[in-house]
Amino acid sequence: MSAEKSFEEFCRDELAPQLLPFEQLRKRAATSGIIGSGLAALTFISFLIARANEAQGFFVVAFILLLPTIIFIVIYYNRKKEYVSGFKENIVHSIINFIDPNMRYNPHECIHRNDYEKSGLFLKTPDKYSGDDYVEGWRDKTVFCFSELHTQYKVSSGKSTSWHTIFKGLFFIGDFNKHFHGRTYVYSENNPQIGFFTKMFSSFAWDLEKVKLESTEFENKFVVYSNDQVEARYILTPSFMERLAKLQDLMGEGTSYSFVDTNIYVAVPIRDALFEPRIFSPNSYDCLGDYYNTVHIIFDIIDELNLNLRIWTKE
Amino acid sequence: MIYIIVTIAVVLTLVSIILYNRLIQKKNAIDNAYFSMDVMLKKRYDLIPQLVETVKGYMHHEKDVLLQLTELRQRVLTGNLNTNEKVELDNRINSNLQNIVASFENYPQLKASDNFLHLQRSINETEEQLAASRRFYNTAVNDYHNAIEMFPSSIIASWMRLKHKTFFSIAGEHRHTPSINFNK
Repeated sequence: MSAEKSFEEFCRDELAPQLLPFEQLRKRAATSGIIGSGLAALTFISFLIARANEAQGFFVVAFILLLPTIIFIVIYYNRKKEYVSGFKENIVHSIINFIDPNMRYNPHECIHRNDYEKSGLFLKTPDKYSGDDYVEGWRDKTVFCFSELHTQYKVSSGKSTSWHTIFKGLFFIGDFNKHFHGRTYVYSENNPQIGFFTKMFSSFAWDLEKVKLESTEFENKFVVYSNDQVEARYILTPSFMERLAKLQDLMGEGTSYSFVDTNIYVAVPIRDALFEPRIFSPNSYDCLGDYYNTVHIIFDIIDELNLNLRIWTKE
Repeated sequence: MIYIIVTIAVVLTLVSIILYNRLIQKKNAIDNAYFSMDVMLKKRYDLIPQLVETVKGYMHHEKDVLLQLTELRQRVLTGNLNTNEKVELDNRINSNLQNIVASFENYPQLKASDNFLHLQRSINETEEQLAASRRFYNTAVNDYHNAIEMFPSSIIASWMRLKHKTFFSIAGEHRHTPSINFNK
C-alpha cells in the first residue's frame, strides 16, 4: 500500500475517473432490469386476470408481453454480467493493487476444492462447490490466499431435491509459522457441526480427541479437537489462545479454524458477496471502502495471530 | 426379591468395571503424557552439545555455565535417576539454559552466525514443544485427580490405592512468545 497516499485520495484521484464508464454500464443494466421486472409484473397480472375472468383478451396481452419480458430479462443478465465482470477486473483489481501490488486477484477463480477438503473444517462433502474473487499474495513472511466460497449439499426425498448450505463466506489459507504434523480443529462453541452427541462422546472422527485447555475464556468460546494432544498445545500456546479469542470478537462467532499440513485454514461465514458491485444504486466511496476493508480483514487475521513471527525452525 | 438383588449386583459390578477402566485410562494418560515430555526433554538435551559448540568461541565469560550445562546433560543421560532427581537436574539445566539465552544479547557477533540463528530457532521450538507437553501432562494429572477425588470413582480409587501425582511447574513459561530479534 502506498504510504504516502490514503485510500480516500486514491479513490478521488484514480478510481473516480475509472468509475465513470462503469456507472454508465450500471445505469444501462439497471434500466433493463427495471423494464424487465415491470414487464414481468404486467405479464403476470394479465395472466391472473385472464385466468380469473376467463377473458381471452388478457391471455393475448400476457402472451404479447411474454416475449419482450424474456428479451429484457436476458438483456439485463447480459448487461449485469458485463458490468460486474468489468467492475471487478478494473475497479476491484485497482483497489487490490493499491493495497499491495504483489497480490494477485482473479474474479473468476476460487480456493481449490482439494484445499477446502484438506482443511477438514466441514464434515459434509459438498454436492455443489462454487466461489469467486480469489486473492493470493504474501504479507511480510506469510503466504496467503483467500476467496469467497459457497458449498452446498443435496437432500433428495422422492422426486424433490433441496439444497442446503454447508458454508458461505470467506475462506482463508495462510502459511502457519510453526511446523506440525497432526491435525487440530478449533470450532466456535455454538458451531452446528459440534452437536450434543459430538460433545458427549468427544470424537467426531476416529482419530480425533477433544483437547481440554487451561484458559476458561478460550474454553467458553471454542471447542478444540486434535489427533495430537501435545501438538495442539504447541499450536495453541496461552498467548495464541488469547489472540484467537480476540480475533473471534473481530470476525464473528461462527468463524472456524483448522491447522493442517503446516497451514492455517480460516472459514468466516459472511452473508453478502465479497466484491460484488451494486446494480440499482451508485457505487459510493463507502462501497469501495468495504472492498478495501475486506482485504484488511485478512491482514487482521495474519497480524492478530502474529503469523509473521518466525522465531521457530519454519522460516 | 432375588431378581432385584441380582439386578442391583449386576448393575453395581458393571458400574465398578466402567469406573475401574476409566481410572486405569486416566492413569495411563499420565504415563503417556510423561513419555511425550521425556521425548521433548531428550530433544532438548540433544541441542545442548550443538549450543555449546556454537557459542563457546564467543561466550568467554559464560565458560563455567557452559561446562556445567554439559556436565548436567551427561548426568541426566547416563545416570540411573529416579523421577525426583530427574526433575531436579532438569530444573538446573533449565536455569543454566535460560542464563545462556539471556546473555546472547551481549554478543552481537553471535547473531551474525547462520549456525547460531538456526540453533536459536531450534531452541525456541524445543522449549515451546516442551511447554506444550508439560501442559498436556498437567491436564492429564488434573483429570486423574478429579477422577480419584470425585464420588463414586473415589471409592474404586481408594480400593486401588491410587495416589496423587505431582504437577509440573510451568511458572509462566512461554506465557508470552520470546522476544528474540532475528535481524542481523
